[in-house]
Amino acid sequence: MACPPAAPDNSRRPTKRKSLSSWLEQEKIFRLIPFVLVEGFFLLLLAIPFILTVYISLLKWRANRPFERAYFDGFGSYINVLTTEDFWWALGRTFYFAGAAVILELLLGFFLAMLVYRQFRGRRLYITIFLIPMMVVPVVAGYNFSMIYVDSGPLNQVLSPFLEMFGIDPRVRWLSHPIAAQWAVILADVWQWTSLTFLIFLSGFSALPQQLTNAARVLGASRWQIFWWIHLPLLRPAIIIAVVIRSMEALKIFDQAVLLTFGGPGTATETIAFFLWRQVWMFNKYSFGAAASVLLLIIFSFFIFYGIHLLVRERAVVKEG
Amino acid sequence: MVNNARSGRSSLSLAKRYNFFFYFRHVVLLVWSTIVLFPIFWMISTSFKDSGDWVAWPPNWMPSFLGGGYEPTLHNYRQIFTFTALGEELSREATEQAYSIWGALGDSASIASISSLVALLLGTFLAYSISRFNVGGKNFRYIILTIRMVPPIVIAIPIVMYYAVLIPHATETLFQFRFSLYDSYVGLGLLYTATTLPFVIWMMLSFIDEVPYTLEHAARIMGSSRIYTLRRVVIPLVAPGMVVTFLFIFILNWSEFLLALTLTQPKVSTMPVLLNKFQSAVEGRLYGPQAAIGTVITIPVVILGVLIQKHLITGFSFGTIRK
Repeated sequence: MACPPAAPDNSRRPTKRKSLSSWLEQEKIFRLIPFVLVEGFFLLLLAIPFILTVYISLLKWRANRPFERAYFDGFGSYINVLTTEDFWWALGRTFYFAGAAVILELLLGFFLAMLVYRQFRGRRLYITIFLIPMMVVPVVAGYNFSMIYVDSGPLNQVLSPFLEMFGIDPRVRWLSHPIAAQWAVILADVWQWTSLTFLIFLSGFSALPQQLTNAARVLGASRWQIFWWIHLPLLRPAIIIAVVIRSMEALKIFDQAVLLTFGGPGTATETIAFFLWRQVWMFNKYSFGAAASVLLLIIFSFFIFYGIHLLVRERAVVKEG
Repeated sequence: MVNNARSGRSSLSLAKRYNFFFYFRHVVLLVWSTIVLFPIFWMISTSFKDSGDWVAWPPNWMPSFLGGGYEPTLHNYRQIFTFTALGEELSREATEQAYSIWGALGDSASIASISSLVALLLGTFLAYSISRFNVGGKNFRYIILTIRMVPPIVIAIPIVMYYAVLIPHATETLFQFRFSLYDSYVGLGLLYTATTLPFVIWMMLSFIDEVPYTLEHAARIMGSSRIYTLRRVVIPLVAPGMVVTFLFIFILNWSEFLLALTLTQPKVSTMPVLLNKFQSAVEGRLYGPQAAIGTVITIPVVILGVLIQKHLITGFSFGTIRK
């Protein structure tokens, strides 16, 4: 084994003054500096509170009483959460909202990206317009939609010819009807986040290799065949990313529900985030909230790890070629 | 040319097919553009309406100088931009009161910009380390995303207890003075840094991965230190990427609502929280001032977004889309 002689290692003879910086210069130390910084930061800011939460979830404590009067209660809060019907309803509603919104966003985003990815006049303008909702503050988007859905708003005005045809008073109160209110929240989400799926698909479409398409055309493939057998498989990573990123974000849905309907009418638009917020910040049920967060984290971690798994697998496929 | 060869099979002539597709595409795109722009148009027009026109039936679409039905007024803007000290001459009626936004605007801008900057520096450094040395293992870049995926309400409840209970308790027993991060700039800023770090790492990874390693290698051989290499070779090459990343996470922090709502009352308050206060105002909804606030916080961000739009596509490929 004829190894070439190793290059003289300069870091081995530091002067006394520079010993700290040269210690930091070593690869095994240097590579870990940012890692330790960031992980330490996360540990201090997120891990400690979480341990605290687990502890509080085992107590019986309402915040209108001093903390000293809290007493150990075992799994009482957990049982309390699991037997609260509203918790399960809110959770189910969150998945329903997220599912409906994400499906619509994916279909719309894909369709729009397909129409826009090739060069034509006005393409850049359309792309600019389509990306605007992403930049709008979600609270403002919720406000905008509350303005549009209001009983004497533009939506009712546009619909009024149809409504009057059926003898309905055109000033429909959309946000007072449970199902209409739910769809109002979903559509506000679709309005805002179709821009993100559009962006992801657009970057996928623009990265499609032209040679494959040309080759297939020369061999006589139809448009449909090219799309189904060449473009769609190549777009798989983009689709997976869009699904994972959007589902994760959609499950957090909160802003629109607060601004549009404040959970109402009744509890028709109460998502899990809104439900917990109300329990903790309006009813001061701290132990309940802590137990519910722990449970939610457990429930969500399945989805999160499945999502991460999908991303990792896609990455592996791309690397292998 | 290719289409020529195929048009024989189709019953429509090439020109007709082309025309149909041309119109179809533009109609669809125009419809979606209208849907996208309408809520923003409506907000801006409401912000110029006087209180009687907010929810008038039928709604007024255009200002009077364009042949529409409402007199445009700057009243809403005057209300939100008055300093509270100056607001005394305004009457007690809800639609006439002054709602100063200066405090919230300052809080929002300072918290969002400083926490974004800290996240950018930390995240870029870590992204460099992940890209070059594979710190934390092969899949670390995915594991870091989990922090972003946890719903903020699950973070908010522990953090409130940490900030409002544990830290004051601990500092009181250890140093005999009460220190609370609840309702403070630092407390909210730290959390914003933590929640945007995953995005910084992701976006910066896609930029840093493109910098050829040979450049750094050359610099190292010529005797530059690691920090110097990072500062003088790598950072200048990814600077545009850093700007884009900064603007992107600034938008995220600027528009964050849940954490701001739960962690800051009443001393610190950000713009989204302020906007929400109007929504639940006891006097009934104040659509005009709200629309003015919405316009003020949306327009700068949209302009920033349009400026970085071209680079967003690179940042959002999330490293899995081949160039």
